[in-house]
Amino acid sequence: MLIDPFIGAAKQRALGWVAFVGSLFGLAAIGPMAHIGGSGYSNLIVADYFSIFVHAVIILPAALVILGSMDYLDMEGMQRGEFYALVLFAAAGMGILASANELVTAFVGLEMSSISSYILAGFRRRAPKSNEASLKYFILGSFATAFFLYGIAMVYGATGTTQIDRIQAYFESSPIASLSGSALPVLGLGLMLVGLGFKVVAAPFQIYAPDVYEGAPSPVTALLASAPKVATFAVMLRIFCVAFGSANSLWFWAIWVSAVLTMIVGNFGALVQTNVKRMLAYSSIAHAGYILVAFTVGTAAGIAAILFYLTAYSLMKVGAFLVVTHLGQQDEKRLDIKDYAGLGSKQPVLAACFSLFLLSLLGLPATGGFLGKFFAFQATLDKRVVWLVVIAAINSVIGAYYYLRVIISMYFWDSAQDYMPTVVSGPMATALAIAAAGTLYLGLLPSRVLDLALAAADSLALR
Amino acid sequence: MPILNQLWIILALPLLGAAINGIAGLSLGRRWSNSAVNAVAVGSVGLSFLSVCEAVREFIHLSADQIPVFHDYFTWMVAGTFRAGFALQVDQLTVVMLLVVTGVGLLVHIFSVGYMAHEGGYYRFFSYLNLFVFFMLTLVLGANLLVTFVGWEGVGLCSYLLIGFWFLKKSAADAGKKAFITTRIGDMGFMVGILLAFATFGTINYGEMFRAVSGTGVETSFGVITSICLLLFMGAVGKSAQLPLYVWLPDAMEGPTPVSALIHAATMVTAGVYIVARMNPLFARSPIAMLVVAVVGAATAFYAATIGIAQTDIKKVLAYSTVSQLGYMFLACGVGAYSAGVFHLMTHAFFKGLLFLASGSVIHAMSGEQDMLKMGGLRKKIPVTFYTMLIGTIAIAGIPPFAGFFSKDQILFAAFAGPYANKALWALAFVAALITSFYMFRLIFLTFFGKPRYDEHHVHVHESPWSMLAPLCILALLSTVGGWLAAPTLWEGPDHFKNFLDPVFASAAALAPQVEEASHSLELQFSGFAVLAGLIGLAIAWWLYLGDPERPKRLAKSLGGLYTLVYNKYFVDEIYGALIVTPLMRLSTKVLWHVVDEGMIDGTVNGAADAAQAAGGQARQLQSGNARSYAAWVIIGAVGFTALLLVLLGKRL
Amino acid sequence: MTQSFLLSVITFLPLLSVGALLVLRSEDHLWIRRIALAASIAEFVISLLLLRGFDLGNPQYQFQENRAWIGQSIHYHLGLDGISIFLVLLTTFLTPIAILASWESIHDRTKGFFISLLVLETGMIGVFVSLDLFLFFVFWEVMLIPMYFIIGIWGHERRVYAAVKFILYTMFGSILMLVAILWLYNLSGKSGSPTFDLVDIQSRLQLGQMALSRTVELLLFSAFFLAFAIKVPLFPFHTWLPDAHTEAPTAGSVILAGVMLKLGTFGMLRFCLPLFPDAAHRAAPVIGTLAIIGIIYGALVATVQTDLKRLVAYTSVSHLGFVVLGIFAFNSIGIQGAIYQMLNHGVSTGALFLGVGMLYDRRHTHEIKQYGGLATPMPVLMAFFLFVSLSSLALPPLNGFIGEFLILIGVFAVNHTWAVLATSGSVLSAIYLLWAYQRVALGDVTVEKNRALPDASTREKLILAVMSVVIIVMGVASPVFTRRMAVSSDNVLHMMERAAAASQRPIPKPVEPGNTRPQHAILSPAATGSPAVVAVSVNEGPVQP
Repeated sequence: MLIDPFIGAAKQRALGWVAFVGSLFGLAAIGPMAHIGGSGYSNLIVADYFSIFVHAVIILPAALVILGSMDYLDMEGMQRGEFYALVLFAAAGMGILASANELVTAFVGLEMSSISSYILAGFRRRAPKSNEASLKYFILGSFATAFFLYGIAMVYGATGTTQIDRIQAYFESSPIASLSGSALPVLGLGLMLVGLGFKVVAAPFQIYAPDVYEGAPSPVTALLASAPKVATFAVMLRIFCVAFGSANSLWFWAIWVSAVLTMIVGNFGALVQTNVKRMLAYSSIAHAGYILVAFTVGTAAGIAAILFYLTAYSLMKVGAFLVVTHLGQQDEKRLDIKDYAGLGSKQPVLAACFSLFLLSLLGLPATGGFLGKFFAFQATLDKRVVWLVVIAAINSVIGAYYYLRVIISMYFWDSAQDYMPTVVSGPMATALAIAAAGTLYLGLLPSRVLDLALAAADSLALR
Repeated sequence: MPILNQLWIILALPLLGAAINGIAGLSLGRRWSNSAVNAVAVGSVGLSFLSVCEAVREFIHLSADQIPVFHDYFTWMVAGTFRAGFALQVDQLTVVMLLVVTGVGLLVHIFSVGYMAHEGGYYRFFSYLNLFVFFMLTLVLGANLLVTFVGWEGVGLCSYLLIGFWFLKKSAADAGKKAFITTRIGDMGFMVGILLAFATFGTINYGEMFRAVSGTGVETSFGVITSICLLLFMGAVGKSAQLPLYVWLPDAMEGPTPVSALIHAATMVTAGVYIVARMNPLFARSPIAMLVVAVVGAATAFYAATIGIAQTDIKKVLAYSTVSQLGYMFLACGVGAYSAGVFHLMTHAFFKGLLFLASGSVIHAMSGEQDMLKMGGLRKKIPVTFYTMLIGTIAIAGIPPFAGFFSKDQILFAAFAGPYANKALWALAFVAALITSFYMFRLIFLTFFGKPRYDEHHVHVHESPWSMLAPLCILALLSTVGGWLAAPTLWEGPDHFKNFLDPVFASAAALAPQVEEASHSLELQFSGFAVLAGLIGLAIAWWLYLGDPERPKRLAKSLGGLYTLVYNKYFVDEIYGALIVTPLMRLSTKVLWHVVDEGMIDGTVNGAADAAQAAGGQARQLQSGNARSYAAWVIIGAVGFTALLLVLLGKRL
Repeated sequence: MTQSFLLSVITFLPLLSVGALLVLRSEDHLWIRRIALAASIAEFVISLLLLRGFDLGNPQYQFQENRAWIGQSIHYHLGLDGISIFLVLLTTFLTPIAILASWESIHDRTKGFFISLLVLETGMIGVFVSLDLFLFFVFWEVMLIPMYFIIGIWGHERRVYAAVKFILYTMFGSILMLVAILWLYNLSGKSGSPTFDLVDIQSRLQLGQMALSRTVELLLFSAFFLAFAIKVPLFPFHTWLPDAHTEAPTAGSVILAGVMLKLGTFGMLRFCLPLFPDAAHRAAPVIGTLAIIGIIYGALVATVQTDLKRLVAYTSVSHLGFVVLGIFAFNSIGIQGAIYQMLNHGVSTGALFLGVGMLYDRRHTHEIKQYGGLATPMPVLMAFFLFVSLSSLALPPLNGFIGEFLILIGVFAVNHTWAVLATSGSVLSAIYLLWAYQRVALGDVTVEKNRALPDASTREKLILAVMSVVIIVMGVASPVFTRRMAVSSDNVLHMMERAAAASQRPIPKPVEPGNTRPQHAILSPAATGSPAVVAVSVNEGPVQP
C-alpha cells in the first residue's frame, strides 16, 4: 500500500496525463490494499479501512486538480513537469499522514505535504501575490508545525511513546484526569492542536488562509483547500479520538470553541468579499468549522460523518475552484463577483455546474454538501450537543447569503460587455463532470459511500 | 302539488333570465337587442310570478299539518356535526313575501322597459334586476338561516351593482360601495348570530330551532336567546337601514329609480322585518330583544321623518320616508304585532313602490331633474302620474280608506294598547305619522302645484309611455284596496290578513303577556287620532306651500340652526367619516404599513443583515496581510487553547 | 399494482418533461410553451386518477410507496390522504393555468422559465406526498430554488431584493426544522431502530413507546411551527410576502399564493398537530392571537395599498390567518374549513393575480393610479375581476364563503372572541376589494392610453372561464370535497390523542360544535358553550419561550 503515492512520484518528469493515470493507479491500488490490510514499517503505518478511505479522498481531488491545471499551466506559460510532481508528492505526504500510526511519522508526512504545497503556492513566479502567499504560508506553516513537534515531544515525555495505540493504552491504564499534577500530555495535546488546526484552517489559526488561498494559483488553491484538510483531519481524528479518546470530555470544549469561532469567522468574513476566490477561501474556513462540530463528539458516527463530509467537501470545493480557475482566464484577472455577471446566459452549462457546487456548499438537499451537514449534525445531536448544532445551523443560513450572491450575479445580472467566454477544454470538462457527478451522487445515493465511511470509522480502535 | 314540490323552479326562472342576459349581452354586445333582453327578463319574472300564484293556489288547499311545506333539495355544506342543506320552505309568511316580491318585481320590470329604454348597458341592468329577484326569493324561501343568508348577501350584491349602475358617476360608485359595506357591518352580526344559533341548537333549520325552544319559557335575563335575537337584529338594522346604519339608503338613490322602487322600498329593505318576523318564536322569548327592536324602530321612524321635512330632492324625501316607514314595521314587531308589521310591509310595498315609480315618471318627464324646487305646476302636464302619486301620498299619510291607513293604524294601536304596549314609543310614532303626512304633501304641492319653477322653453315636459303608466295604475289600485283585508275590523269584523298569518305567530302570541281586550270604541278613537294626524300634516303643508311662497323661507330663517341641522341630515355622514373612516385609514397607512411593517419588522430583518455585514467587515480587518501579526494570532491561539485545556483539566482533578 | 406507482409518476412527471424541454433549442419558444403546457395538462389528467382510486372511508394514507433509500432509516415513502389529495390537485390544476398565463408575457429565456415552473411543480407535489421526514425536507428545500430563479430572473424592478428576502426568510425557518427533524430521529432511536418515517414515529408517539418531555415537545413544535409560520406567512413573519408577490411574474405569484403558502398550513396539519399535540394546545392562545392580528392587520394594510399587486398580496396574509385559526380550533369542522379555505384561497387569489397580470401585460404597471374606469374599455376582464373579488370576500354562494363559514363554526365552538374578531375580516375584505375594484374599473377612464386597451383575448377568456367555473362549483358543491376530507381531518384529531402513558397530561378532547350539549339545557347559562370550551385554548396559559 505504501507504493501508491510513489507510483505517481516515480514518474516525475512525465506529463500531466501520466500523473493523472498515476494517481488513478493509486486509486486502483486501494482496492487490493483493502484486502491486504495490516501495517508496515514496524507498525509506523497502518492500512486499516480508515486510512484507505482517506487515501481515496486524498487522491481524488489531487487527480481532479491535475486534470484541471493542464490548460491553466498552458495559459500561464508555466513549465509543467515539476508541478504535477509536486502535486503528487504532496499527495504522497498526505497519504503518509493519513495512515500514520505514529506521531513522528505523522510529522514527516505533514512536512512532506507542507513543503511541496509551499512551493506550489508560489508557482506563479511572476505574480507577486503568489510569491507573497508562498512566503507567508512557508513562515507560518513551519511555525505551526514546530508547535506540532513540541506537542509530540511533550506527549512522548509524558507517556514514553509516540505510537497512537500505545498512547491510548497508556491513558487507559492511567486516565489523564486522575493523573495528578502531570499537565504535560494535555499541554502536548494543546500544542498539537495548534499545528493541526493550522492545516485544517481552524480558528484562530485560519488567519493565513484567505491571503494564501487568494494568492496561490487557482488549481493549487483547489488542492490546498481540499486534500491537506482531509489528511490532517484524518490524523487529527487518530490523535484525538483514538490516542486521547479517553480524554474526550477534556478536549471537547477546546474543539467546541474552535468550531464556533471557525464557523463565525469563516461565514462573516465571506459575507463581505467581492473576490470570489477569496470568498471561497473563507467558505472553506466555515466548512472546517462544520466538520469540527461533528468532531466534538468523537463517536464512530461522528467520524463517519466527518469522512463523508470530507468526501463531499473536497469534490464540491475542488469543483468550485476549478470553475474559478477557468473563468479567471489569463493572469487570474477575472475573479471579482461582477465578472461573473450574465454567465447564466453566456455559458449555461458552466454556470449550472458552478451553481451546483455553490448550492452544495450552501447545503441544499439533493447535494453531497447537504448530506455532509446532515450526518454531521445528526451525529452531534445524538450526543445531545444541541446548542453547537443550532449555532452551526444558523451559520449555514448566513452562509447561504454569499453563495447566492454569486448565483445572483450569474443569473440575475446582465453580462459585462467585454467578457469573451472561453471554451472549456476536455480535461477541465472531465474534471468538472466528475466533481459535479460526484456531488449529485453523494446527494442522492449516499448509501454506499456512507457504509464505507462507517466501516472506516469502525476500523479505528475507539474505546 | 307540482310547484310546491318543485319550489326551486320559482328561483330558477329569474336566475336563468339573469344568466342568459348577462352572458349573451357580455359576449354578443349590441347584437343582443333590447327586445330580446325584455323578452328574457320580463318573461322570466312573469313566469316566476305565475308559478308563485300557482303555488299559492295549491297552498291554500293544504291542511294545517302540511304547513310549512319543506323541501331539502341537496346538501350544500357538510363537515363534522354541521350540515346545511339547500332547503326551501313555504308558510303563510313566505306566501305574502313571495307575492310581494314577484308581483312588485314584475311591475318594476315592466316599468323599467320604458324607463331604461335609452340607457346604455341595458342588458346589464335587467340581468342584475333578475338576479336580484332570484336572491330575494332565496331569502324568503330559505328554510334555514344559511340559505336565507345566501339571499341576504345576494340582494346586497345586486343592490351594490344596481346603485352603481351608472358607474361612470363617482357618486354612484361610492354610494354602491357604501351600501354594500354598511350592510356588511350588520351582516357581521347576522353571521355571528348564525354561529351562536348553531352552537346553541346544533341546527340552523327554522323548524328544528323553533321546536328546540318550544319547551322553554321566556328568557328574563340577558341570555343566549337574547344574544341570538340581537345579533340577527343587527343584520336587520343594516339591511333595513335603521339607526345607526341607515346612512346608506339615502345615497342609494343614486341608482335608477326603478331600482329604488323595487330594492330600496318594496323588497330588499324589508328583509330585516322579514327575518325578525321569521324568528318570532325566539324574539317572543326575549322581552329585552323585543324592546330593543321597538325602540330602534320608533326612534328611526321619528328621526328619519324629521329629516324628510327639509329635503328638496324628490327621491331623497322618499328615501327618508322609507327609512321612517321601516321603523314603523320594526316598532310593530317590537310590540308583538308581527302581523301588523308584515301588513304594513305589504301595503308599504304597494304605495312606496308606487311613489317611487311615479317620482321616476316625474323625473322622466322633467328629463332628469330631481330637485323639487325646480318643478311645480306639473299637475296638468302629467295627470296620470299626478293622480297615481296623489293616491300613494294619501295612502302613506294614513287617510282612509287607503291601504296605509289600516296597517299604520294597527301598529299605532298595538303600540298603545298591545301586549307590549309602550306609551312613549306610541307618542313618538304618532308625531312621526303627522310629520310623514306633512312632508309627503309638501312633496305633492311643490311638485304638482303652484307655478312652474323651471325654464319651460328648455324642459319639454311629457307624460310617460304606457309601459310606465300601467304599473303606476296597478299599484295605485293596490294602494287603495290593499288594506281592505283588514277593513272589517272597523265594524268588529275579522281581520282576514291577520287570521291568515296567525299560524306563523301563534307561539309568539301564546307567550305574550295577557292584557284585557281593548274596547272597540277605544280602537275607533285611535283610528280617529291617526287620521287626525294625517290631516293636520296635510293642513300644515297646505298652509306653508299653497299660500304665500315666501312663507317656508321665512320659517326656515326663524328656525335658523335647527333648520340647517335638519337640512344637513344632522351631519351624521360627516361625523362617521371623521370618527371612523379617516382614523382607520390613517392608522393603516401611517402606523401599520409604514411603521410596523416597513419600520419595525423589515427594520429588524434588514438591521440583522446589516449587522452581519458589519461583523464581516470587522473579521476582514483582522486580515492585516502582515505575517507577523498572523504569527501573533497563532501564538494567542496556542496559549488560549492550552490554557483552556489546562483549566478544564484542573476542573476534573 | 400499477396504482402503487401513481404517486411517483405524478411527482416526477414534470421533472421528466423537463428533460424533453432540455433537448429543444432555446430559441424555439413556441414548442417550449406547447410541450410545457402539454406536460402540465397531462399531469393534471393523471392526477385526476387519484380521485378515482381514492377511498374516502379510509383514514390511512393511500397509494403508499415505501422503499429503502439511505441506510435503514431513510425511506422513499409516499402516501396520500384526504388533506393532501386536493392540494396535489390544486397544484396540478394551477400549473397549466400558470403556464398559459405566461404564454406571451415571458420572452426572455423562455426555456429556463418553464423548466423552473415544472421543477417547482415536482417539488411542491413531493412535499405534499412524502411521508418520510427526510424526503419531505429534501422536497421542501429543493422547491425554493426554482421559485428563487422565477422571482429573481423574470421578476420586476426590485426582483433581486425580493428573491433574496424570500429565500433567506424561508431557509432560516427551515434550517431549525431540520435540527428538530434530526432530534426527533435520535429520540426515535430510544424505541427501536431510529427512523425518519412519519407514520412510524407517529404510531410510536401514540402508543407511548416514544415520549417527549413537555419542554422538548415544545421546542420541537416551535422549530417546526416557525418554518411553517414563515411560509404561511403568519404575522409577524409576513414581510417577505408582499415583496415576493409584487416582484414575481404573474405565474410566480399564482403558484406562490396558490400553492406555496399552503405548504405552511399543510405542514401544521401534517406535523405540528399530530406529532406535538400537547405543545400545540399550549401554543394555541398565542398562535390564535397572531392569526387574528394577521386577519385584521393584513386587511387594513391591504386597504391602503397603492400598488394593486401588493394589495392582493396583503389579502393573503388576512386569508391565511383564517386558515391557521381554523387549524388551531382543534376540531373537525375547523380543520375541514381550513383545508377548504386553502383550496379557495389558491383558486381565488390565484385568479386575482391572473387578472392583475393581464392588466400588467397591457400597461406594465401595478400602480392603481395608472388605471381607473377600465370597465369601459374592457368589460369582460373587469366583470371577471369583480366576480373573483366577490369570491375572495366570501360572498355566498361562492367558494370563499364555505371555507370561512366552516372555519368560523369550528372556531366559535372553541373561542367566541376569536370567531367574532375574525368575522370583522369579512367587512374589511369587502372594503379593500370593492374600493380597489372601484379605483381600477369604475368611473371615467382617467389615463388616456387606457381607452384603447384591448379586452380579454381568447386565451385569457379561456383562463378566466375555467377559474370562474371552479369558483362556482366549489361554492355550490362543497360536499364533493369535504366528504373526502372528513375522515382524514378526523384522523388528525385522532392522531393527537395519546396513550395515557405517553403524555404527562391528557390532551384535551376536540370540542365539536352543535353536538356539545343536550337540547333541554339550551337556556342554562353554561349552555352558551363558552366556559367549558374556552378552557381548551385560553386557560392554557402563555407559552414559555
